[in-house]
Amino acid sequence: MSEVDMAVVKPEAFVDDIIQLMRNCLKGSNPVAIVCQMMRSYIWIQTTDGAVQQVEQEVAMFCPMICQEVIQKGRGSSKNHAISLPQGVGPSMFSLILDYCRFHQVPGRSNKEHKSFDEKFVRMDTKRLCELTSAADSLQLKPLVDLTSRALARIIEGKTPEEIREIFHLPDDLTEEEKLEPLKNTNDDPRIRLLNRLYAKKRKELKEREKLKDVEGREEHVDDRSVDDLLSFINGDSKGMKTSKNRKKHQKRKDQQKCAPMYKKDSNAFSSLCHNAKVGHELQSSLSETLKLQDVTDMIFAPTVGFEDVDEIDPALKEEIDREVEDFARILNSDWPERMQELLSLGQGKRPAQLSINGNGTLKRFGMTVVSVTLYVIVWMERTRSWATMNSAVWIPAQTTSGWNNFDQMLMQVAYGKQKDCILIDVNSHLSDLWRAL
Amino acid sequence: MDTELDRISSLPGHVLDQILSVLPIRDAVRTSNLSRKWRYKWSHIPHLVFDTQCISITSEDQTIVKNKLVNIIDHVLLLHNGPIYKFKLSHRDLLGVSDIDRWILHLSRGSTKEFVLEIWKGQRYKLPSCLYSFENLIHLELFNCLLKPPLAFKGFRNLKSLDLQHVTLAQEVFENLISSCALLERLTLMNFDGFTHLKINAPNLQFFDVGGIFDDVSFENTFLLTLVSIGLYVNGINDRNVSRGSSSKMLRFFVNLPHIRRLEIQSYFIKYLAIGKIPSRLPKSCMDLNYISIRINFNDFEENSVAFCLLKSCPNLQEIEMLGRPEEQAAVGPLAGFWGDDHWKCLFGQLRLVKIAGISGIGSELDCIKFLLSNSPVLEQMTVKPASSEGGLELVKELLRFRRASIQAEVIYLEP
Repeated sequence: MSEVDMAVVKPEAFVDDIIQLMRNCLKGSNPVAIVCQMMRSYIWIQTTDGAVQQVEQEVAMFCPMICQEVIQKGRGSSKNHAISLPQGVGPSMFSLILDYCRFHQVPGRSNKEHKSFDEKFVRMDTKRLCELTSAADSLQLKPLVDLTSRALARIIEGKTPEEIREIFHLPDDLTEEEKLEPLKNTNDDPRIRLLNRLYAKKRKELKEREKLKDVEGREEHVDDRSVDDLLSFINGDSKGMKTSKNRKKHQKRKDQQKCAPMYKKDSNAFSSLCHNAKVGHELQSSLSETLKLQDVTDMIFAPTVGFEDVDEIDPALKEEIDREVEDFARILNSDWPERMQELLSLGQGKRPAQLSINGNGTLKRFGMTVVSVTLYVIVWMERTRSWATMNSAVWIPAQTTSGWNNFDQMLMQVAYGKQKDCILIDVNSHLSDLWRAL
Repeated sequence: MDTELDRISSLPGHVLDQILSVLPIRDAVRTSNLSRKWRYKWSHIPHLVFDTQCISITSEDQTIVKNKLVNIIDHVLLLHNGPIYKFKLSHRDLLGVSDIDRWILHLSRGSTKEFVLEIWKGQRYKLPSCLYSFENLIHLELFNCLLKPPLAFKGFRNLKSLDLQHVTLAQEVFENLISSCALLERLTLMNFDGFTHLKINAPNLQFFDVGGIFDDVSFENTFLLTLVSIGLYVNGINDRNVSRGSSSKMLRFFVNLPHIRRLEIQSYFIKYLAIGKIPSRLPKSCMDLNYISIRINFNDFEENSVAFCLLKSCPNLQEIEMLGRPEEQAAVGPLAGFWGDDHWKCLFGQLRLVKIAGISGIGSELDCIKFLLSNSPVLEQMTVKPASSEGGLELVKELLRFRRASIQAEVIYLEP
């Protein structure tokens, strides 16, 4: 066969052109060879930047979405009828996807080869990985979505929330509402050790503050323990604790005693303990302006609920949550329902307002007060710089924001120590510690 | 440098579900701490897997660990929002606690499709009756459980895969279970008690893997069964009366397996097949059988007969594996001349790969090898692995002599 008899077919040729060509060739007596390679068909695709390109058919058809366009809508056959890619698929992502398709559509490769290709393929920075996942999903390319999902999962696995936020540039906007799986307090030392471990970071700080703390002027009905004792307790010396008055005013309901997630802003003084049994129940602690006394029994409950971001939670859910909150309050103790109602109604009046926590934690905009049911608590009276026991819900204006950090922890340690069956979790940056320690 | 965008949070829901599903449960729940958008993303994950790796609790005291575990599962279940497609509970420290009942009840209200429960220690855990009301169950896997469904139980209508290991259930319960799950495609049974007759009536069954102690196996309606792996863990059937004068087990076994493709005869199952009359060949050849693996005592006449009958009835075999039982073979004297007779000829037109292992290079083993070599014209490879290295050289010498029907055949001697 001479060269002359070989029909050279341009890639852009359409089928009818080829047929015409063949007819012409067949008119002659010489055998015709149409080189298969040149007959490979291409699909026209328009990327999001407007550029139109041709992609080999078998590669492009690997993507279900493109396949669909070609078969069902007949697009992609010419430049004017190019398939336009969905928004999520940028030109660079598209070329990556084409690389993937190009490799995987070749038959006869072993599983091992596919796996090693995949492994190398997903080695890219997380930003591109996310984009790639999104692009693959738009093109309905499930194997690639699976691959990238697993890669992303591997990145997330085992890391602390801070690290994950760092990697994915997530906003740290959960300071008030960080939620933790409730821990049930049991009568055992490891728990105390656990909590102590949590506060290990702040012990030094505490020690410093200890020096500054004024231990004089204690009121008479102050708790038996001195601040020193408390501090030493915090510092790990549980022997320093004198026996607590283990008053249990509330019936302990085992089933419902799932404890309270707490919210605490880093610079803020307060942690509230609340009982939460449902998703979406965000309890918010009050901030520097108002000091809420915390109930340190196992039936901690902060009835008022504030939501920082109403967008995320629809009103129906909020209402339901409010109702639950009230219900739970009633369950807590028969002595308290009216009290609870009273407290609730103090804050209620309108739907839980949006609570915005600005830098110094002021609650000025906050129309209602966050109330907690207090049974027995020791309070640090900033005014008098002393400890006091309180039996009712009281609001004590906070003095400084920074001072409360320590108080908070102390309070919890104290409460924890005093009431063996209380449930305390401090949710702040220690959250990750706690969860890790689980 | 412009502000970095948060790209991951805006991925479509099902993709995020996928990512979170792959994570261990702990990491998945921890993502609720990442940012506002991530608070409840985890609560939609369709797979909940609680196993020893997922939850690492370090404590000496068993009760503490147990309590923690119970707590965590309680909370995850309560906070979870959405359908739970797959639930797996397999923690080493969870001893048949009654909390499991509660969780199963919770799941039964939803539409769980895959349920895996593994009780690592302790006695058989009796499953609550609410388990039997899982309407949408497709895959059920139980380890160390006791099944006692209520009388009204009509089977799992959608069950396709059943895996029961170390379970106890009564004979009727078992039969009922199998026959009422009409869509059952895969059945695995290991180490069971409470029933001894494996009556398998499953029209859609494709995969059957059993290992345990039983008296009888019978298939009914199992025309789609293509993969069977059976191991009988007891040497010899207890009741000799059963074996004497009973119908040929071999015939009964194969009569309802017309389309079997892979067969593995493990442990002492071949002895079961030797009960009753052993035909010289099966009435209907197993045309689809392309892989067979037999654990055999080469010195036992009956077992050899069974193997021989089987091999003769499967002309389309592509791969054969024969594993000796060296501990037994020493006891009985070698059986010679079984395979070597000239008129025992049959053609393995498709046989490409043969593996022989656990032999000691005596009489009938060599005959068998010789038989296979001379009857397989397209054989590509035969590997021979003795049980011990003594007599290795003798074995190799014999192997060298054997005539081979296939010029491509490689006979490879593997070190024991």
